[in-house]
Amino acid sequence: MAAGGMGGKTYSFKVVLLGEGCVGKTSLVLRYCENKFNDKHITTLQASFLTKKLNITGKRVNLAIWDTAGQERFHALGPIYYRDSNGAILVYDVTDEDSFQKVKNWVKELRKMLGNEICLCIVGNKIDLDKDRHVSVEEAESYAESVGAKHYHTSAKLNKGIEELFLDLCKRMMETAQAEERLKGNGASQSASSRRGVQIVDDELQATPAGGCCSSG
Amino acid sequence: MMSQRRGIHLDQSELLCKKGCGYYGNTAWQGLCSKCWREEYQREKQQIQEDWALAERLQREEEEAYASRHQRAQSQPTTTFNKFEERKTKEKSSKVNTVTKFFTPSTKTPPKKDSTPLDAQSSPSPSSSATRHSSGDSDHATREFIDFLKPLKSGKEIFKQCRAFTESMVYKRDLGADELSECVQDFYQSLSERLHTQFKGSTDHVESIMDEVEKYMMTRLYKEVFCPETTDDEKKDLAIQKRVRALHWVTIEMLCVPVDEEIPEVSDSVVKAITDVIEMDSKHVPKEKLACITRCSKHIFNAIKVSKKEAASADDFLPTLIYIVLKANPPRLQSNIQYITRFCNPSRLMTGEDGYYFTNLCCAVAFIEKLDGQSLNMSSEEFELYMSGQAPPLWPQVTGASSCSPGSTALSQVHQRLDLLTGLGERQERVMVKARQLESDLIDWTDEVDQKVQSVLENFPPQTQNPAAGTDDGTTSAASSAIDSENVENELLPPPLQPQVFAG
Repeated sequence: MAAGGMGGKTYSFKVVLLGEGCVGKTSLVLRYCENKFNDKHITTLQASFLTKKLNITGKRVNLAIWDTAGQERFHALGPIYYRDSNGAILVYDVTDEDSFQKVKNWVKELRKMLGNEICLCIVGNKIDLDKDRHVSVEEAESYAESVGAKHYHTSAKLNKGIEELFLDLCKRMMETAQAEERLKGNGASQSASSRRGVQIVDDELQATPAGGCCSSG
Repeated sequence: MMSQRRGIHLDQSELLCKKGCGYYGNTAWQGLCSKCWREEYQREKQQIQEDWALAERLQREEEEAYASRHQRAQSQPTTTFNKFEERKTKEKSSKVNTVTKFFTPSTKTPPKKDSTPLDAQSSPSPSSSATRHSSGDSDHATREFIDFLKPLKSGKEIFKQCRAFTESMVYKRDLGADELSECVQDFYQSLSERLHTQFKGSTDHVESIMDEVEKYMMTRLYKEVFCPETTDDEKKDLAIQKRVRALHWVTIEMLCVPVDEEIPEVSDSVVKAITDVIEMDSKHVPKEKLACITRCSKHIFNAIKVSKKEAASADDFLPTLIYIVLKANPPRLQSNIQYITRFCNPSRLMTGEDGYYFTNLCCAVAFIEKLDGQSLNMSSEEFELYMSGQAPPLWPQVTGASSCSPGSTALSQVHQRLDLLTGLGERQERVMVKARQLESDLIDWTDEVDQKVQSVLENFPPQTQNPAAGTDDGTTSAASSAIDSENVENELLPPPLQPQVFAG
């Protein structure tokens, strides 16, 4: 859970992509990391684990994006994937009411398992097919608000709304990580001493870290 | 002690021999001049040789004693024997190491007693070659670790801590696996925090040190903490192995794997992936085990990419990985997963690429454990039939459905072809019968024709010969005109030649 704040300057975040098959999870992330859509000449071997390095307000962020298998029969494996993640992007297809229902199930599950520590983004993809829309904007947005998630509209095909989605998510995850660090900073003296209990030998370096681990945050 | 340490931490500014003999020293000789270095080196080498000789002798004695006690113990039930073995190992490994002397070219001879357990520490197995090998492994790891740490400012500190911690773990072997894991994880965390403060945020550097720390510690602890007796890892290993074996009939089609094994490159990648996931068990360090999983995954991605002509998504990857695990049935799968989870550097598992593939492997195992008919798009009755081994032998049913395990697909194909052959045979026979009938009909027919001709010849020879010979002109022309009467063009033709009768 404490993936953020390594070294005080670089944040490492894990983001899971959840959603039914064929809603465009993979296209979304390929568009974001490689700026490609349906390209037959994709040089990457795979599009299921992608990383992106960002610099947000002077802080370095390493984003690791974990795609998950969306087929219904793999649904039960979700908890193994989203364990320890800082953010989740829940994708549905605006032309497919059913995929929106799936998102609702995911939200319930995530909140139950991970509480409020995880930043949720609900994403309506394929807005280029707006004429076939089956999930209304109002319904989706009010639902997102009711569960404490942000709602975005994207199109991987037209490259719309994707940058904003990830940038917003990173900012929110950074806020969460910073809040967590502050909390940890208060209780650091306790946890540090309990950890040191396991330690055996240490003569010279003993003095340095006690102050260091608080200030590093 | 201080002077010894300076012998390792190379100080370029001091050009004179560290021994203070007045000659210039050389960094290649750890700052000594050639003469002093030779002396030092000889002494060290000799000392090491002595230690090894002593260690060997003591081990021999130990083994002899062991063997004689073994014979006595043979009559006793194995459980007590195991306990005795354990106690013995514990006693031996309590005080481990000659390592100090690799690290500091010490002038004082270490107490001989110290050097023996290094060799004998892990010798519950009576085979001395195996013992030599395993202790050689950890010895090798120690040396590599020291080499890695040498250029670092606080290398010795790091080493001291890791060694002390590793040794302390031996006392904790009665703790549960989770507690052991917590100890190790706490150690990783506090050490990496300390390194972070020391190297001021150079994350990569800290990570590379932590990798080496993990490698050193886990090589030495592997025997103690891999699949420990306090857990039911072994039972789970056997359970998953049995499960995979029972699922031998699952096909690519059932799992919807987007891989076409007909393409040579794809089947090649599949084989490589299987080899890699099996190889995982042979590695001792969590990081190396993870590297095997990563290699396996890359081969899978390649197989998918070649088959589908596009980059693989998670939707494609997971089913393929499941298929690979089912085909490979990797040894001690659960133990390996548990070992990695417990003792791997957590940052790698949480956000790294290795962590992603590892998580997928965990998912694959979880899926295989829970697999039912629904997840293979078949009814639970059908699933039960397959699981109980009844379905594949049922020929008619199987030939109807195109999907069954590779073995029975082939069998059903053979069956189909046999059917076809039998059908062909029957048809051929029918053809033969008909042909023979036709033959005899033909013979009969020619006979009949012959007969008829004969009978006609017999009956009518005078009538055919005689009227032509016996009739006069008038009747002949009447007969010919009667024959040609229907011919419209008759009149255009020249008059027929009239036979000249020279009646004698």
